[in-house]
Parts: sequence; C-alpha cells; structure tokens
Amino acid sequence: MNARHVQSPITNAGGGAGTSGGSWRFILAFLVGAVFIYAGALKAWDPVKFASDIQNFHLLSWPLGMRLAFYLPWLEIVCGLALIVGWLRTGAAGILTALLVVFIAATIAARMRGIDLDCGCFGKATKDLPFAWHLAIDFALLAALLGAWFSFHSAARRSR
Amino acid sequence: MKGGLWGQALLLIALALLPAIGQAVYYGERAPWQAQPVTSDEVDLAQAQAWDDSVMWLDARPDAQFQQEHIPGAILLNEDRWNELLGPMLAAWAPDKHVVVYCSSLSCGASHDVARRLRDEARLSNVYVLRGGWETWQAAKK
Repeated sequence: MNARHVQSPITNAGGGAGTSGGSWRFILAFLVGAVFIYAGALKAWDPVKFASDIQNFHLLSWPLGMRLAFYLPWLEIVCGLALIVGWLRTGAAGILTALLVVFIAATIAARMRGIDLDCGCFGKATKDLPFAWHLAIDFALLAALLGAWFSFHSAARRSR
Repeated sequence: MKGGLWGQALLLIALALLPAIGQAVYYGERAPWQAQPVTSDEVDLAQAQAWDDSVMWLDARPDAQFQQEHIPGAILLNEDRWNELLGPMLAAWAPDKHVVVYCSSLSCGASHDVARRLRDEARLSNVYVLRGGWETWQAAKK
C-alpha cells in the first residue's frame, strides 16, 4: 500500500497525515476547532448571559435571542469538534465561516450605530480589548477558516 | 465522509440541536424565555439624582474616557487599574452613601462587573448601576 493512500481519521479530507499538506491541514483544523470549542463552551456555560450579549446588538428580539443563545454555542462546539476529528470538515468550516461573517457584520453595524458592545465572545480574556483588536482577531480567525475551508475542499477534490 | 457542503452543513446543524434542546429542557422555566430579566441593582437617573448628596458616582469606563468628561464629582474605578483605584475610592466612601456605578451605555457590562466586585470583594452594600450609563446622563443634559 502506498503511504500516500493511507487515510488518517484526522485528515480524511485527503492527503495522508505524513504529508506536509496533511500536517498543515491538521494543525490549522485543530487550532481553529479548539478556538471555537473554547468560545462555544464559555457561552454554553451561561446561555442567559450570552442572550444578554446578543441583545446588546439591538438586532433581535429577546425571545429569539434567548433561543439562539441556547443553540449557537452548541453549533460552534459541534463544528469545532468536526474540524478536529476530521468528520464533516467542509460543512463545519462553511458554517463557522458564515457565523463569523455574520458576527463581524453585526459588530461593525453596531459600532457604526454607536453601540458600545461587550460581546463576551471569549469571556474575560478579551473583555478589555479595544474594538480594533476585536476586529483583528475576528479577521484573523476568518482568514484561518477560509484557509482551512479551501484546503479541505481542494484535498477532497484531489482524493476523488 | 463524503457529501456536499450543504449536506454536511445540514447534518451538523441538526446534530447541534440535540444538546441545545437538552440544555433548554434542563433549564426549563428557570430561563427567561419571553423577556430580558431586569437586574435588581439597576437604578434610573431620576432615582439616583433623588439621592442627592448621598450619591457617590463611580465611573467604570477606561481612563481616557473619564479624563475626557465625566459626571461631576465622579470617582474613577475601572477594572483596568482595579487594585490601584480601589484604595482612593474606599477612602472617599462612607456607609451612608449610595454608590452608583456607570459605564458608557446600556450595552456595556463594565458597570455591572465593577458593582459586583464592590459587593463581593469590598463587601459594600448599597451599590447600584446607572441604567443607560453615561449616554443617559448626556441625553438628560440636552
């Protein structure tokens, strides 16, 4: 059996774990997945607090925000886990990218409306960061996600 | 696992519903599903102003915003320099004071954090949060 065709459970989107592309994909997927699991767990721990954070954007009604506060953290955790274990990776990267784009757009819109946000995205770790740093982190995460997404997509196409 | 982007996404969306529903059922009626709970420590501007001389204003915003402008007589106490600022604040405090903490607006959380720490760490009572914060003060001035 050719080593190139050994499918690792972690890098099942194509490319063996021993290849540099496979290792790079695994590291990227692990890092991005871990960030979303951490962020999701923080919010899932206290969904009522997260609902208040959603309410701070002044975009959704409280009942809808409350229901999203129970759902979105788990979506982040499930997608983060999917990225790490290599199952449904393309879908996970797509969902997380969409969530992040919506979040960035809502953050910028809120800022333009003069709303002083306390998003609570990463707990106390980022609470005191200036707005520009929040945006920089979001865009870095978005770049990593897009990189991961294209990487999985191209690896999956090569493996067909 | 093969499958298109949309198929995978739908499966993940459905999977995430399971723990979410489980958690929602666990919370049940304890979760405020219909309306945002009003925190009992909030006061509106009229109430705070009615306390007149017994009110002690605390500004929980960053230093730069405090230096720019603040409520007359307010003392700076933010979490950036908590250890440094707490001493002078306590020196000015008296048991008969109504401590009212404010931050930028209705959306900011700094005033609630500072108020909570004053109750938990400094063991102060009569600590309140100004609903609407600095924005409300500014609007009332106009």
